[in-house]
Amino acid sequence: MRKTKTYLLLLFLLLLGQGARSQFNPSTVCRVENGIMYFTIDLNWNNTQKKELTRLFDLDSTLLAAVYSGKTEIDLKGAKWEVKKLNSHQVELSKSIRIKPEKTSSSKDVFLVDDRWMNAAGEAERESAVYGVNRFTRISVFRYKESIARFFLPGHKEAKKVFLSGSFNSWSTQQTPMQPCDSGWIIDMKLKPGKYSYKYILDGTWTEDPFNRLTEDDTYGGNNSVVYCYNRIFMLRGHTDAHRVFLAGSFNNWKEEELSMVAVKGNWLISMYLHEGTHTYKFIVDKAWITDPDNKLKRPDGAGNFNSVIEIGQSIVFRLKGFENAKNVILAGDFNGWNTGELFMEKVKDGWQLAYVLGPGNYQYKFIVDGKWMIDPANPNTSGSGEMQNSFLANKSNYLFRLDKFPSAKKVTIAGSFNGWNQDNFIMVQKDGKWTFPIYLKPGKYTYKFIVDGKWIRDPGNDLWEENEYGTGNSVLWIEP
Amino acid sequence: MRFFFRVIGTALFLLFSSGNSHSERIPLIAGPEMNHTIYIPGLRMGNAGPAGEPESVIIPLKRIGRLFMIEAKVDNLVGNFLFDTGSSQLVLNSTYFRKYILMSGVEGGGITGSTGELSRTRVGRLDISGFSYTNLLADVTSLGHIENRRGVKILGLFGASMLKGLEVVIDINHNELRLYRLDKSGNRLSVQKNDFKADVTEKVFICRNVLFVKVKIGGKFLDFCLDTGAESNVISCYASKKVLSTVTILRRSDLLGVGSGESEVFLGKLNDFSLGEHAITNMQTIVTSLGTLSSIYDYPIDGMLGYDFFEQGEISINLVKSEISISFNKTGKS
Repeated sequence: MRKTKTYLLLLFLLLLGQGARSQFNPSTVCRVENGIMYFTIDLNWNNTQKKELTRLFDLDSTLLAAVYSGKTEIDLKGAKWEVKKLNSHQVELSKSIRIKPEKTSSSKDVFLVDDRWMNAAGEAERESAVYGVNRFTRISVFRYKESIARFFLPGHKEAKKVFLSGSFNSWSTQQTPMQPCDSGWIIDMKLKPGKYSYKYILDGTWTEDPFNRLTEDDTYGGNNSVVYCYNRIFMLRGHTDAHRVFLAGSFNNWKEEELSMVAVKGNWLISMYLHEGTHTYKFIVDKAWITDPDNKLKRPDGAGNFNSVIEIGQSIVFRLKGFENAKNVILAGDFNGWNTGELFMEKVKDGWQLAYVLGPGNYQYKFIVDGKWMIDPANPNTSGSGEMQNSFLANKSNYLFRLDKFPSAKKVTIAGSFNGWNQDNFIMVQKDGKWTFPIYLKPGKYTYKFIVDGKWIRDPGNDLWEENEYGTGNSVLWIEP
Repeated sequence: MRFFFRVIGTALFLLFSSGNSHSERIPLIAGPEMNHTIYIPGLRMGNAGPAGEPESVIIPLKRIGRLFMIEAKVDNLVGNFLFDTGSSQLVLNSTYFRKYILMSGVEGGGITGSTGELSRTRVGRLDISGFSYTNLLADVTSLGHIENRRGVKILGLFGASMLKGLEVVIDINHNELRLYRLDKSGNRLSVQKNDFKADVTEKVFICRNVLFVKVKIGGKFLDFCLDTGAESNVISCYASKKVLSTVTILRRSDLLGVGSGESEVFLGKLNDFSLGEHAITNMQTIVTSLGTLSSIYDYPIDGMLGYDFFEQGEISINLVKSEISISFNKTGKS
């Protein structure tokens, strides 16, 4: 019995030892010495541990398989690895560190490493807000009227220079100086409705707006102040005896007591910013949900009731002339996931039409006439070729590519960072000997080239270009906010 | 998506000032810069320091990932300059300054050891928050790849020679760069109270117009250059066994085929790093070869102090006294 216990104890200790040896501690796996990398690998590691090893140290699974099969020299993709046995369960894998400089001049001075290593990506794109309401503690510090935003910073009379810096001016620290006034500093800026983040710069020092409770993390240990320029007022007439009235809708996930309305001269009001698109909503009057009595546009909510509907943005009217004898015509595009059973066009006097609200952007679409797909014959702008050719629509386009040369060219397309350098994606249209293509681009940098009858050229009308890996250069375009 | 760090600037100027055949074609900066002495007290840069009234300025720093930007006006163009002490002088982005080029065909080298074409020009005037510089010598090269990686417009690099005769305080916590004019002894002209309380002060030295400081790793003294344009610390993979045994290797990247060069790089943690008598623990570093750069220098470079170092606290560099002082974050990593 005592012997059995001893055996069991020994077996337990053995298993324990085995387990300990198989532990995977990434910080002890790799070392670098005199230009050589060494990996201490445990032959008892399981598949999960091996996968972690390949993930952390970019090791090829083929290489690891060779190590585990007992090879002592491994030649992989021109690199020579050596495997040395350390003990019964550990081997040491080693190789000289590859030093091979980049040959192209464009990246001669930059060294790339894995982004995940340090979690230090560039300026993150903020998610555009669907809706927003300001939270100033003093009403006078911000006003938005007729597209003019007035920022007022009370006090700080001792400051020599005050600047306003924010997402509206690409966070410029010099381009928007504020003017001194009787009781502080003031600036008027023309802004579109939307969400903006900002800070003041007082004699070089970044400062949050002290009268704005709405902030967001600036990702560098501080906060940016946030302001919304409004584009919508919701109003509910009457109900003067109600105690509390709220607005709730699809834009705020129908949160009941978030958007409180204010009683003003016999009406209940709330001003806010609301992103372009189609939204449904209701008022909540002392906990009773009601539709907007002044808005005739209502749609079923799927539960036997109706919601009020508001559409913000440009309504595009898609038209197809002719085809009077067709049974049905359907609009399908990337804006509705190419759904072929949703957007049935209405038959009108000289053809078919459908109004649809779209936000700013580039869209592709086709008509389906009795099951047969066709591009829009009235729209000269197309994208793609062959069966993949679609009509192209740049809603609220903010840039027009233009090529005044090559009037006799047969085909001119644009390839750039905005379309993955696709040669056939954006096809320019010729009129009066000039080639054009309208497009909507978000603020930022883009590089591109024209392709004239198969020949890639820089934009002769654009002085800005940068070197590329082919030594031919790419045209550079910046879209400002 | 990939993350990159810059270790450039150091290299960009080196060939021009290293007394090799290239520099003979560039008479504009011939003179003291051609000196082969390794340790030179005080900065000896080609460009004059800033002119203008203020004795000190506070420049708001813009952070783009691990890069620091300041806004400057070159003639009539206003935009972002990467604050880059690793670059020895002003560098302009050829995308916006191609027409400024006065001479081209100058070869340049980078940390990855490659060579490319650089050009050179003079800038009439550069303004930055009240300080102005005139008749500046500048390199012109493509910086489009930095723009493309970080999505920000970069007019150029604001290099070390722009700080000549100044004390510069880099305060990441307040996103500020403070510049102070100095007298001949290296004291601030500004009547404002100097409330900078240094935890450690060490000498910096100049090698081929780039700032260096001696650091201690694993008990050994090493020469690291100060590079605000480097998104990470860097240490040579050829450092001694004793030094590298104090670096925990956490990751490796095999960048075969990526347009950044094909050198292998490692991410590590510095376990035994000190500046003067002050230990800094848990700083991260990249481990890779700096051999090519060293050969350009004709001097062994052991490493670079980049973003991981500059986030340790307020850092003052006095270019007249040739000193670096650090007021460490009190609740930080030091």
